[in-house]
Amino acid sequence: MSIKVRTVERKGRTFLEQLYLVEVIKGMTVTLGHFFRNLLDNSRLYVRHYPEVKPEITARWRGRHRLTRHEDGSVKCVACFMCQTNCPSNCIMIEAGERFDGKSEKMPTRFDIDLLECIYCGYCVEACPMDAIRMDTGIYSVTSYSRESMVLGLEDLLETPGAFAEEEYKKGGG
Amino acid sequence: MAELVKLFVNGQEVEVESGKNLIDALRVVGIEIPHFCYHPALGADGNCRMCLVGIEDGRPPLVPACKTPVQEGMKVLLDAEHIKKIQRDVLEFELINHPVDCPVCDQAGECALQDYYMNYSLDDSRMQVAQVTKGKRMDFGCGVVHDQERCVLCGRCVRFTRQITKTGELGIVNRTDAARVSIFPGKPLNNRYALNIVDICPVGAMTSSDFRFRQRVWFLKKDPGICHGCSKGCAIYIDHHREKYKDDVIYRYRARTNLNVNGYFICDDGRLSYAGENENRQTSALADGAVIGFDEGIELVRERLDRARKPLMLISPDCSLEQMWAVQRIATLYGAELSGYSDNYIIDGDGDEYLINDDKAANRRGLELLEIDFSRAQFLTGLQHTDLLVNFNNDLFFGGVDEELKSLLDKTQSIAVCSHQLQVYESASIVLPTASYSEYGGTIINEDNVLQRFEKALFKNEDPKDVLEITRLLGGAINDAPHAWPGIKQSVACLADIDPQAIPAEGIKLQNSEDTNVGA
Repeated sequence: MSIKVRTVERKGRTFLEQLYLVEVIKGMTVTLGHFFRNLLDNSRLYVRHYPEVKPEITARWRGRHRLTRHEDGSVKCVACFMCQTNCPSNCIMIEAGERFDGKSEKMPTRFDIDLLECIYCGYCVEACPMDAIRMDTGIYSVTSYSRESMVLGLEDLLETPGAFAEEEYKKGGG
Repeated sequence: MAELVKLFVNGQEVEVESGKNLIDALRVVGIEIPHFCYHPALGADGNCRMCLVGIEDGRPPLVPACKTPVQEGMKVLLDAEHIKKIQRDVLEFELINHPVDCPVCDQAGECALQDYYMNYSLDDSRMQVAQVTKGKRMDFGCGVVHDQERCVLCGRCVRFTRQITKTGELGIVNRTDAARVSIFPGKPLNNRYALNIVDICPVGAMTSSDFRFRQRVWFLKKDPGICHGCSKGCAIYIDHHREKYKDDVIYRYRARTNLNVNGYFICDDGRLSYAGENENRQTSALADGAVIGFDEGIELVRERLDRARKPLMLISPDCSLEQMWAVQRIATLYGAELSGYSDNYIIDGDGDEYLINDDKAANRRGLELLEIDFSRAQFLTGLQHTDLLVNFNNDLFFGGVDEELKSLLDKTQSIAVCSHQLQVYESASIVLPTASYSEYGGTIINEDNVLQRFEKALFKNEDPKDVLEITRLLGGAINDAPHAWPGIKQSVACLADIDPQAIPAEGIKLQNSEDTNVGA
């Protein structure tokens, strides 16, 4: 089998093209054409009006974490450290303490997730034996002005509600 | 060395020591027989039935390995189907009422039940009826917390209190699934070795209130060490861990087996002495109460030592042999008198016949061998005539404040090289921080003349310099612990043949120390 050789035509060598000006005008025609078309009717825009229009997130999306509660409002987490053990980026820091509400013997007294270090892999959710940590808040944009505020504590994680219905989350493989 | 016998395990020939049972003998050659109730210190009880093995010589089809001594030509069956079935069945039986709360159990990660289930069973539970609930989080006293649901009723704890401490606080009451380990009403554990129960419990039924929930065991780094709590020098494991953004800290001590010294156990005081390594540490150099740089501190100490007419150096009896040697050398260098005075480390009547000694100094034998005077008379005369005292980590007020010494110390200009912030160092004009025993390596000799070596276990963020390193910075010639040995060998006859790199884990019993024992 012989090698096919195709000679590519080199462009930009003619006099008009060497002038540039004509080519610039041709390019600007395309740009301005789009500009005026979108200016007169923006319903056919190719982009999303991001801050105003949010994208639809499915229940399987791994967003920011939250800690869940039992129906009676008590913390589900028993501070078993499985998420911390499984975390590949080592961003979870837990301290455990005694628990006296009858649900378990142990609960977290401190539960910090450093969102700057988190790689959103979801291994913590998979490791959790209590379904206590989930990434179903639907929060996909995690921004802040300071490093310190990117470390979420126990209270921050507990107060964020889930963004999806229970069946939908379960269907998503949660 | 005991006689060797040959026997067959699963058809393979192995050579093991005679006079032991199958579990102990085969463990040496790397064959593990699962067991709950057997413990080498407590003897064979034969109640758990986990170690049942087959012997192909016409005996009953199954025998407990813990009660079967090895014999020449014995044919042991471990991997036959009926043996595996027994192991699965015993595990299923133990797990009937087990709460399987491994996520909140401190034992998870070092639990025999967990390990055996993963290795020998992996069956699902077939139980349809509700589990029997029993007492949880029961305070047994002495910092032992009992969980009856997790208990496999091996009776190790009960036998420990009967055979080892001879106090007998524990017993198994009731029968069948109502059986549980319990204390007698109103009579909690009351002995100084109670926390060993936490170590010997094969499952998570006995936990220590001190360690409870503080860390998961798989994070802990387990380094061998020597307890410096008293002159017994028990072998321990130093379990430590550096949490993210934090410092390397010790979470617990556990007993390390050393039949030459402590056997299988350690005392509770020693076990809880880990806290002293974490807390109240001297971390910065001070000059007249103001924080200065460490190098600046060393310069100041050198200056003072050069100017002093009659310096007196005081060394701690906890120091390693190498450190003592280095301080001895530097005392000669500066023409200083050297004392190892440490009568306050002796607390009369505190010791017992077992593992606790009156003398809380870890290496007094070292002082004796290096002929460092530790008499009160010599130290008092020295202190009265000296113009500069350099105290190498010797807590003179260990057993309580000594008023006579205190008034003398207040009058004397002194330099303290110390690991902890203690009252005795308050009168010092210059303070240099130094490493404590988990942060350096060395050798010590216990009261029974057993020479043991330990390695540096902790690596702090700001690693403190140990006494030996400080003597080097002060102009001493000894760079590190191995460099001290040629000199030590020369001056101490009974250490002449010791290779410090080849000291076995169980230590070396020094033989002729009586002849060279002049200092005492």
